Amino acid sequence: MKHFIDTIKSTYGKYKVIVWIICSLLLLIFPALIPSNYVMGVVCRILFYATLAGSLNVINGYSGQMCIGHAGFFCIGAYIEAILATQYHINFWVLLLVGGIITAIIGGLIALPTLRMQGIYLSIITLGFSEVVRLIALNWTSVTGGAMGVKGIKSPTLLGFTLSSPKQYYYIFLVIGIVFIFVTNRIINSRTGSAWISIREDELAARSLGIEIKKYKILNFMYGAFWAGVMGAAYAPYTRYIDSTYFSLDEGFNILSMVIIGGQGTLIGPILGAAVVNSLTELLRSFSEWRMVAYAVLIIAMMWLRPQGLVGASDSVLAGDKMKKKKIKVLAKEEK
Amino acid sequence: MEYIINQFVNGICQGFIYALMAVGYSVIVGVVGFVTFTHGEVIVFGAFASFYIFLLCGNNLLLGVIGSFAASWLIGIFVYKICYERFFHAPRHIALICTIGVSMLLKNIAQIIFGPNKKPMLNIIKNKIYSFGIVEISKVQIVIILTVIILSALLFIIFMKTRWGISLRAVSQDKTAAAMMGINVKQTAMIGNCMGSGLAGVAGLLIAINYQTVYATMGSNLSIKAFAAAVLGGLTSVPLAALGGILIGIIENMGITFTSASLRDIFTFVFLIIILIFKPQGFSKKKGVRP
Repeated sequence: MKHFIDTIKSTYGKYKVIVWIICSLLLLIFPALIPSNYVMGVVCRILFYATLAGSLNVINGYSGQMCIGHAGFFCIGAYIEAILATQYHINFWVLLLVGGIITAIIGGLIALPTLRMQGIYLSIITLGFSEVVRLIALNWTSVTGGAMGVKGIKSPTLLGFTLSSPKQYYYIFLVIGIVFIFVTNRIINSRTGSAWISIREDELAARSLGIEIKKYKILNFMYGAFWAGVMGAAYAPYTRYIDSTYFSLDEGFNILSMVIIGGQGTLIGPILGAAVVNSLTELLRSFSEWRMVAYAVLIIAMMWLRPQGLVGASDSVLAGDKMKKKKIKVLAKEEK
Repeated sequence: MEYIINQFVNGICQGFIYALMAVGYSVIVGVVGFVTFTHGEVIVFGAFASFYIFLLCGNNLLLGVIGSFAASWLIGIFVYKICYERFFHAPRHIALICTIGVSMLLKNIAQIIFGPNKKPMLNIIKNKIYSFGIVEISKVQIVIILTVIILSALLFIIFMKTRWGISLRAVSQDKTAAAMMGINVKQTAMIGNCMGSGLAGVAGLLIAINYQTVYATMGSNLSIKAFAAAVLGGLTSVPLAALGGILIGIIENMGITFTSASLRDIFTFVFLIIILIFKPQGFSKKKGVRP
């Protein structure tokens, strides 16, 4: 197995450019290869959730904070887009940024009171926040339309083309996803990213090395919330109609299960998680009530067998005590 | 004015139920040392256990209380075996995510078993209203308050006077030292978890009697309320958690008196945020290991 992985790695190293060109070409002509609109819809969902789960992974996987109510931020972004686009006719591409920035500010305000405490307080606050946002969306009828939701959200236009079907929307989600991966990769490899990872590994050690814990934690949370807002704003015109039932706590758990199953602390993890969970959703469509049970069992199994997730960061605190035992074994060998 | 005073009385009554939930929560957090997300689901299972007992055996409140306590005790064992037993020495987030997983599992299994619709609870107590001047209090409310007080007194006696209680307190203070004194830490932690869950189950029964309905998805909001009440005592102090529960009940009912009833859950959240801003460690004076 290890030999096999090494062979793949060495071939990839040799033909790096060719592999990348083939991959990007495949991604570009992918909609032409698949005729069915249904399959395209599933692919769009996978792409969409990959970015959304990625934004949650920035919070949960890279800085070791636990956000559970990610659906709340997603909801804020979606409602901002829907309301501003239907009532004030603002351009979709501007609203992507506006939705992200407002969501990031709200996320920062939510995380602010919990910075002095351990992570669990943040988890509960986000859980409650998600429910409160949903209640406000349901009850503030004059702005959000209440239980009726917001109808008739316009599809985005680009250079005169209207992008409405899943095949065209595929490119929007793809571009946002690629921008997300690119920017996040740059940040993770920068000073800020190292600070986040060091906070996750050992908060006390990070603090004693002079890292401003509060600043980096809140930065991390706002960055994650920003992308959740952007994805919300991209999602609203895709369905053309939103109401508060889309953003229940189950939606938040759905996103969380993608991150945990796919793997925390790596960029590829949430993408794999989104693919696995969404395919599972399609497979279990006829037993829809057992869907969440299946996710729950998968989450528990992951925690028992492989706490970092399928392709998560194995050399981190996320991997649990198994790593500790391995390290002790290695140390014992070296002493002999 | 009368209306406001009666809402206040309702608030105190609901506050007593929240207090019972919060007491269970802080017992769990104190003894086991992990924060749990399964509390709401345990409450739902307790409520449904009593619902079926009343359906099968008729109006017997004592039997209902014992039944819901026992059912939640069993759920507590299940939660302990899956979430905590293996993970005492692992990083904390693993047990946390495990409780989230179990909470999802229990919630959806409850929806499948009991159905997604609201079920009307049987009328256990004949509704009679006693009035003292302008204050009106119903028999149901008196029964609820008495049940909570009796259970809390029992818990206090168990904690202070029995061997179980001594080992529970020892484990909640320091697990390593307790193990050195010959206490079976894992078993004691399980008993603590089951006790907290049992109290939550009885709280579920009381909520079902108070609102006259039971449904499978009522757990998640109650879980947040139990946590918010327990925060007042720094998550581990039992009397302050009870006080927090009563406060939340009063604030909620006063809040919906002046706004609308659909905003009920927002007030708990605001209460939680205010406490976290001004007194994040709670009012507990205990200097010990905090979760």
